[in-house]
Amino acid sequence: MAQGEIVAGFIAPHPPHLVYGENPPQNEPRSNGGWEQLRWAYEKVREAIDELKPDVLLVHSPHWNTELGHHFLAVPHLSGKSVDPIFPNLFRYNFELDVDVELAERACEEAKKIGLVSKLMRNPRFRVDYGTITSLHLARPQWDIPVVGLSANNSPYYLTTEEGFAEMDLLGKATRKAIQSLGRRAVLLCSATMSHRHFQEEPEVPEDMSQEHPYSMEMYQWDMRLIDLMRRGQLSEVHRLLPEFVEIAFAEFKAGSFTWMFAAMDYPELPGELLGFGNVIGTGNAVFKWDLTKHGLATPAHAWNGAANGAARPAAAGAAYPPAGNGSGAGALYGGPGPAIGAGSR
Amino acid sequence: MPVVCAFLVPGNPLPYLRPENPPWSGIATAYRAAGRALQAARPDTILLYSTQWMAVLDELWQTRPTLSDIHVDQNWYEYGDLEYTIHCDVALAEACVAGSKEIGISSKGVNYDKFPIDTGTIVANGFLNEGSRTPLTIGANNLYHSFDETMKLGEMAVKQADALNRRVAVVGVGALSGSIFRREIDIRSDGITSAEDDQWNRRMLAAMERGGRGELAALAQDFSKGAKAEMGFKQFAWIMGALGGEIRGARVHAYGATYGAGAAIVEFRC
Repeated sequence: MAQGEIVAGFIAPHPPHLVYGENPPQNEPRSNGGWEQLRWAYEKVREAIDELKPDVLLVHSPHWNTELGHHFLAVPHLSGKSVDPIFPNLFRYNFELDVDVELAERACEEAKKIGLVSKLMRNPRFRVDYGTITSLHLARPQWDIPVVGLSANNSPYYLTTEEGFAEMDLLGKATRKAIQSLGRRAVLLCSATMSHRHFQEEPEVPEDMSQEHPYSMEMYQWDMRLIDLMRRGQLSEVHRLLPEFVEIAFAEFKAGSFTWMFAAMDYPELPGELLGFGNVIGTGNAVFKWDLTKHGLATPAHAWNGAANGAARPAAAGAAYPPAGNGSGAGALYGGPGPAIGAGSR
Repeated sequence: MPVVCAFLVPGNPLPYLRPENPPWSGIATAYRAAGRALQAARPDTILLYSTQWMAVLDELWQTRPTLSDIHVDQNWYEYGDLEYTIHCDVALAEACVAGSKEIGISSKGVNYDKFPIDTGTIVANGFLNEGSRTPLTIGANNLYHSFDETMKLGEMAVKQADALNRRVAVVGVGALSGSIFRREIDIRSDGITSAEDDQWNRRMLAAMERGGRGELAALAQDFSKGAKAEMGFKQFAWIMGALGGEIRGARVHAYGATYGAGAAIVEFRC
């Protein structure tokens, strides 16, 4: 079996407003649009996924919050109606998804090997969280690619942010190993908003865009500072600033999705492509793409069949990987075995 | 005052799903005893606040007449499903929506099929309200609300109940110390995660038994920080507010652990 690859990672925020604005048949409430710039950004995500032809989409969601370890969806088929507890007026979505259970099991096993408490969610009546569903719908509304859903363990909240990120770093590394060992072609979705301070009241017409703006100048400036660094490929600096950013901007990256995704991608110091930015009830949402096939770090889709059949991999992929920044930048921040996760740890 | 009884109870589903497990059986037994006491007080409505129903925009109140489904907890799914039927006192919930606005808190009713009812509400209803005989009025835990604002909501809800001539049971659902074991344990040996948390819990429970007003509210907020109590211990703020800002003593029916977190069944003097 050929070694699997992560072909791209996306920051794929999950405001349910974007699904509401789109009016897909799966969602009950109807809107008059709204948040177009973010929805157009997701059109580019959809095009990219068409082009990348992944076997699997992996999504790490802050809205599946687990206390005891890192959990993976591990039921072959899940369906139901997801009603957002915060915005039930906007999101009542009938979902059906297929899970790549083999990959979930392998990732869980790798996470255990690396020292993380990890579990497989096998209850078929489990209600998939709306963060997972929203990011997946926005990225791939056809629902024709199997998924692996990962919970957000509350370690960054329970321990320090840095200790929590150290766990997410390990989770990312375990995810990468699992993808490689099973020969999967994978796309990662970091389901998270940047600055996360909300307005506390909703406009009478939720899609009234005249009411939408950044929560504050400070939140906006922090979002732009981080986005600018990401666009320039200064990811080590982004990771260094992350704890401060989450503290000041209440950033949803605190839940670990961003760190997980970059650890899984082996911390490429590559410029990301900003596909769009917008505010949703004051929060800052960036849709970003890191296409590793464009940088010689993963095999383009047109060459993948050959790779899967055991043919020689494109020279560029092997030669350039890993890049100079890998493993020596942000990864080093989380070096070591990770935090103690026993009873007394705080 | 229309409050006929008041209880602080845990929302963790483990004692409900595995009542035979020795460390949880005392909690389950006391929970059922509290349910009998509640029913004996013959309330028209249970005014319930669970830390696990989290809201961000507005103060939300359940206005769907009947909620019925099977819920699977996002953490403890391997222990089983939570089947429930809950009837709501819609008139009182709507009065609370209006009453919240009157005290300056933006508010809304929610009435949606398949709305995700939180585990704490389901567990409390299951233990305290056998057969779902008594309707509930359920308010959300808005994450932005402070301890004081939550007290005001509790106080307002009782005033609205009074205006509707309701006899009410007040229930606050949530943990004491909030830290759980972060590794898998043998559930037969469950206990509080640390001696420090245990001390905090016992100090808080003793203070409830003694009763008090402002100083008790202040201690509750210190406790919340010291013991990492669930959601700022706002379930207690709800009860204090509903009881007019004063606790006149309490009886602790049980105290124990749910996977390391503090859990107690407390009945307040009314």
